[in-house]
This record gives sequence, structure tokens and C-alpha cells, in this order.
Amino acid sequence: MSGALIDPSLFEQLRVKIEEDTVIRKELDKITDELVQHVSFTQGVLSRIHSTPRSKYETLLPQVEEGVKKEIQSVRALAAFASQYPYFKYNYKWNRAVQDAISTVLLAAWLGGMGTESRPGEVGRLLKLEEVGEIFGVPVNLKDRDAFHITIEDYLLGLVNIVDELSRLAMNSVTLGDNDMAVRISGFIKDLHAGFQVLNLKNDILRKRVDSIKYAVKKVEDVVYDLSLRNLIPAKMEE
Amino acid sequence: MSGFKRDRQGNAKRQDGFPKPAPKQQIERNAFTPMFENLRDELDAHHDRRDRIGKASRDITALSKKIIFSLQRVRKIDEHLPEDIQKEIDTRLAEISKLLASIAPDVQGINRLRYARSLVCLEELVEALTFYHYLKTQTLITQDQLTPIVEDLTRRGFVVEDEVMGNSEAAEDISSEQQPSDQAKATPTVGLTDDDYLYGLFDLTGEMMRFATTTSALSGKMASSDAASDGRDIVHDMHELGTFFEMLPLRTGNRSMWEKKLEVTRQSVQKVEKLGYDLKIRGSERPKGWVPDLRSTDQPGSPE
Repeated sequence: MSGALIDPSLFEQLRVKIEEDTVIRKELDKITDELVQHVSFTQGVLSRIHSTPRSKYETLLPQVEEGVKKEIQSVRALAAFASQYPYFKYNYKWNRAVQDAISTVLLAAWLGGMGTESRPGEVGRLLKLEEVGEIFGVPVNLKDRDAFHITIEDYLLGLVNIVDELSRLAMNSVTLGDNDMAVRISGFIKDLHAGFQVLNLKNDILRKRVDSIKYAVKKVEDVVYDLSLRNLIPAKMEE
Repeated sequence: MSGFKRDRQGNAKRQDGFPKPAPKQQIERNAFTPMFENLRDELDAHHDRRDRIGKASRDITALSKKIIFSLQRVRKIDEHLPEDIQKEIDTRLAEISKLLASIAPDVQGINRLRYARSLVCLEELVEALTFYHYLKTQTLITQDQLTPIVEDLTRRGFVVEDEVMGNSEAAEDISSEQQPSDQAKATPTVGLTDDDYLYGLFDLTGEMMRFATTTSALSGKMASSDAASDGRDIVHDMHELGTFFEMLPLRTGNRSMWEKKLEVTRQSVQKVEKLGYDLKIRGSERPKGWVPDLRSTDQPGSPE
């Protein structure tokens, strides 16, 4: 039996661990703040879609992609740093920022951006989780090792985010005289809505956000109804 | 197929090979349906794991609390706990072993921290084990000493399971022979995180306070081990633990939790020092050799 209650090395061990932890958190805050700024810039550029006719996307999308490039740099820096530590220890610090970054990429791609040489962009394209991971240069849905990655939840939450933006665009594109766009968005959102219903959601944040999709569905349906009432739906669309 | 049934709480879970739940209703298929179906299967596996862990966690918490209750019936710090109490604890620990083993495959690698919040039971277990160790040795067990103990508990859970299987299911002799070698290679264990240990220690101070209060009331002395060479008692130990926590840097991860626990610890320390003071002043008025008649309450005969 030792003479002291507490082994002297224990205190030192714990103190060092806690201090290291604090340093890591500060560094993560720094990197995440940077990402948040790039995301917010990109979101700002993207908000111009509501006042930009489709013919001008050609000039708008490259600006969006510039912002996305910076997001990618930040996410890579984050991945490089965060991968040194257990993913689920700190992930709550950047989840939101990464989800928002995913949203900008998904939206840019849907609008016809994010094209590559092998696969040019086109309106209505939905990037899959794996494709999003490729764009950011990080793994997705990791199970066999512990490193930074994009989770299924990140992707789905990012996807829910763009639904709202698109339902707004459906209205504004009609204002801009692009009825075809509104009809396309309507079809996309309805398909997504059906897709989300395939999931067995628990009572968590994902479910809460997914529940909001129905309002977007209603919004675009109203727009399409207004159009069809006035025979304004372009003939080539089969809606 | 081989070993699937036997290893229902082992390999099967690791492969996430559970039958997929049928879709809720027939939904009109579209271009995105296959993608969502893939994601659904992944999410379902995740939710299933979390549910399993949560259930085991609740049971482990309850068992840990029972161990603590048993330990609070101990009357002095001594290497040898009263036999009946020791027996109660061993039974509970065996049950905890089985539960830990049942969820061990679910919390390997990256999943350990993924489900950290569902595994709060470990905090409670740390509290029980550190208290147990204190009552036996009057020392604080370190994280490095405790981690192997918890890992060993998990391993023992697997062994027990094996024995049960081996006895009752003779029909599957062949696969049961393969089993041990498989497990010897890599028995998944449940490890402790820094948080489990630290927050468990915080709670330990509360148990020590309760213990100090009961023993001093019943014996008129501050609890202390006969073997402790320097004659320190539990008042001293509480002060040392209090200082220990005050000197540690604030853990920024969960600031409010840390501050709350620290405050409770402060109160516990002060309660025990008040006890020390009371004994010093009034304890001397007690006739020498006077012992309260404790025959009925001192020796706990009935469990719980």
C-alpha cells in the first residue's frame, strides 16, 4: 500500500491531456472559422441565382466555383488536422460548417456547375455522397478507420438545405420568365421528397429538417399549379 | 453462415448483417430511390447499434449503482471487504461483464466515440470501481490501472458466453471449437475515454463523502485504513482530491458540466471537513471506548 492517495504521475498525465485537448479545440475553431467565411461568401454569390436568368449562369457559376475552391481548401486543411484525432471526439465543431459547404456544392452542381472534363455540368444534376467526397478530396462514410470524413448525415442535411433554396428559385425563375426551370425544380423536389421517405428516420435533427421538405413541395406545387392554370407550362415538359 | 447464430453478439454485428427491414410502404420509385435505399440501410445499422448500446448502457448504469449501494454498507477501509458484500459485487460485475461483451463489437475503432454519449454508463462504472478500489486500499486508482480492468471485464463476458454456449448447444460442436481461437486473436474490448475516467472521479468524491458521513456517525472516528502508514484519514483524502480537481485545467470541451461537477465536489469536501471538525470538538466528549450499539445495522445481513 502506498503512502499517498493519489499517484503523483496521475495529475501530470491528466493535466497534459486536458491542455492538449484545449489546444486542439482552439486550432479547430480557427480552421472552422475560415471555412465558415468561405461558405458564407459562396452562399452570397449563390443567392444571385434568384435574380439571374438562366442564360447568365455561365458567368455566375464560375464565381460560385471560385468560392467552392476556397471551401475545398479549408475542408482539406480541416481534414488534415482533424484526422490526427478521433473523428467523433471533435466533429461537432465543424459539422455545421461542412454541411453548409456541402450544400453550396450540391446547389452549384444542380444549377449546372461543378462540371469536369469527363462530365460536364448540367442543370438538374444531383451529386451523390461519393461525388461530394471526391470534390472535397476527403473520404465519406468511413467505417474501417478513424479519420476525417463526410458522414451520411452531413450529406443528407446538406441536401435538405438546398431544397428550400430551390423552392425559392422556382418562384423567382417564373418572375424572370423561366417557367421551364420552375417545372424542373418541382419535379426534383418531389423526387427528393419521395426519396427521403424511404429513410427510417429517428426522432433526431435529421428528421426535423427532413420534415420541412413538405413545405417546399407545397410551395413549388403552388407555382406549378399557377402555371398550368394559365397554360404556361412549356410543352416539352410532361408534367 | 458458420458461427452466425453462435456469434450473434459478435461477428454478426460487426458485419452489420442483419436482415434489412422492409420498406414502410410501397413508394413510387424514381431516379433517387436506389441512392436513398442504400443510405437507409446504413442509417438503420447505425440506429440499431445505438439502440443496443443504449439498452446495455442503462443496465450497466443500474448495476453500477447497485455496486455502489453495496459498497456504502462497508464500514471501514480494509483490503478484505465483508464476504457478503464482496459476493454481491462479484455477481454484479459478472453481469456487467456480459453486457460489456455484448456491445463490445459495436464500439470498436471509430465507433467508440461515435456512441460515447450512449455509453454514459462507463462513468458510473468508473465511479463504482474507483470507490471499490478506495475502500480496499485507500488510494485512487489511476486511469492506466483502471483501463485494463474494464477491458478485462469485457473479455470475461465473452468467456462466460462461450461456456454457456458450449454446454447447451452440443449440436454446434464444430463451430464452438473454432470460436476460442477466433476470439483469442481479437476479442473486442470496451475502453475508457479520458472523460469517462475524469467524470467518474468527480462522482467518486460524492460517494466518499457519503461513506465518511456514515462511518463517522457510526464509529465516532474518521474512516482510515489501518495499513495507511502515514495515518491519513478520509478528511485528508477529500482535501487532496479537492485540490487535485482545483489544480487541473478547466476542460473546455464541456465547460458547464465540468464546472457543475467541480462545484459539487467542493461541497462534498466541505461536508467532510465539517465532519472532521465536529469529531475533533465533540468526539472527545465521547467516553473512551464507547461504541454505539450497531449490532443490527453494522453488519448488513440482507442485500439491499
